[in-house]
Amino acid sequence: MTTTTGRPFVLPGETVDPSLVPTHKKHPLRLGPGLRHIPPSDIIPTVAGQLVTNPVKNSIWVEYNSQRYIPQPGDLVIAQIVRSTQDAYLASLSPYTASATLPQLSFEGATKKTRPMLSPGSLVYARVSLANKHMDPELECVSSATGKSDGLGPLTATAGTGTGTVFDVSLGFARRLLMARSREEGRVAVLEMLGGEEGGGLAFETAVGRNGKVWVGSESVKTVIIVGRALQETDRGGLGIEEQRRLVKRLIREMR
Amino acid sequence: MPREAEPSLSEKQFVLQALQENLRLDGREFDQYRPLELTFGDQYGVADVTLGKTRVLAKASAEVTVPYADRPLDGIFTIATELSPMTAPSFEVNRPTETEVLLSRLLEKTIRRSGALDTESLCLVAGQKCWSVRVDVHVLSHGGNLIDAACLAVVASLRHFRKPDTSIEGGVLTVYTPAEREPVPLSWLHSPFCVTWSFFGEEGEIAVLDATWLEEQVRVASCTISLNRHGEICQIAKLGGTPVEAVALLQCTSVALTKAKEFSALVDRKLAEDLKRRDKGGLMAELKAENDR
Repeated sequence: MTTTTGRPFVLPGETVDPSLVPTHKKHPLRLGPGLRHIPPSDIIPTVAGQLVTNPVKNSIWVEYNSQRYIPQPGDLVIAQIVRSTQDAYLASLSPYTASATLPQLSFEGATKKTRPMLSPGSLVYARVSLANKHMDPELECVSSATGKSDGLGPLTATAGTGTGTVFDVSLGFARRLLMARSREEGRVAVLEMLGGEEGGGLAFETAVGRNGKVWVGSESVKTVIIVGRALQETDRGGLGIEEQRRLVKRLIREMR
Repeated sequence: MPREAEPSLSEKQFVLQALQENLRLDGREFDQYRPLELTFGDQYGVADVTLGKTRVLAKASAEVTVPYADRPLDGIFTIATELSPMTAPSFEVNRPTETEVLLSRLLEKTIRRSGALDTESLCLVAGQKCWSVRVDVHVLSHGGNLIDAACLAVVASLRHFRKPDTSIEGGVLTVYTPAEREPVPLSWLHSPFCVTWSFFGEEGEIAVLDATWLEEQVRVASCTISLNRHGEICQIAKLGGTPVEAVALLQCTSVALTKAKEFSALVDRKLAEDLKRRDKGGLMAELKAENDR
């Protein structure tokens, strides 16, 4: 069974057809989320979704839309500060789950004296640096290799004059937005359209967190609402590229 | 019990900032409700109300019991409201939160105390037997404005409900099954609906209808007006919060009346549709061997 994108659809416990598994001369086969290796040679999906392969990296995984965010090292997330302790902030990645720790010194150029003061309820764009089972995840806002922030840090509106807020989307949609070629692979072009000619060149900035949150910032409140609604409606309705174009045009017309 | 998830600072600020500019996050007008859907179940007395992301299911049921000693001529009518952890993890079973207590109080005042259901008609044998009508309200999803959705669901379920037909012959009470005799509707006097206003701003100068969950967490005050389509007000509840101008409240009441008329029309239309769906009619009904008696 294949879906509209030509990717095979798998159900949990099904056997994966060996012809779909990529082979590579040098790299070993890498199994991504949603797949499990049963020795000696079986690969079975543990969730229902689309089977995706990458022949270059010799990897295979299942693309699915789940409800709960499970942190993985390297994920970019939008975290909300809950409270501050002696040397770390406690941040929540999703409601009603154990909070993640964000050391106060893991910001760009932070020392004991110059560290950012974040009040409870403020938002940070962070990377998950450590995520183990049965342990609280750890976040960082600085690249440990270069010492640079790489765009991570507290999420505040542009230059003090603008405004911004965070919108909830599904986890699958957040992953699609984060794809390197989101138009071709993720079939999301709504942000490009809003900034392009369909949206009349709206000026805004976004930060996408893998925990299903999108932060939208702009100079005008109206723009933020248009972008947020476009994202949420695309997500909810599972819209294709052409429908997204119509949605953007409709939203722009409505808000005029 | 996990604590309720608080919105972030930027969300709170942004909602207020947008409201100051006459905008809402979902693009609605200030006096506009989210898309409202009402469906009835296969059984009598099951109503499912969807209001945006809020979903409430109400189920009416009836049984024969002994009336209260001090009210021998009245039947019993109760509304049971329960917010389970399925609604949100911050709700716990057997430990009512403020939301739950307020919801059940308001439903009680709106529907029971306003005499929407004629309880005297539920009496079967004075002081010995009466109908006990019970409505269970299940909140399946909490997306804000529970009160309006729950009130609509309860009213719709009671108007849809049919209780078994009974007869008394020589002091013997007989309750007929639906196969023997067609069940009869409750004696319903008027349909009250709740309309909840939320107030924002330092002096509560911005009034908004049908607040979402995020807006509810940011508002400074709220006011629930219960009234029927004839404009008869059953109750007005403004429990604490920032004081609001009396003139503003009068305006709110007049808008609430138009909303109550809309709700009333919606329930009437859906009930008529449901009746049509149940009524097989035609030749088959006439050829049936059993008659309606």
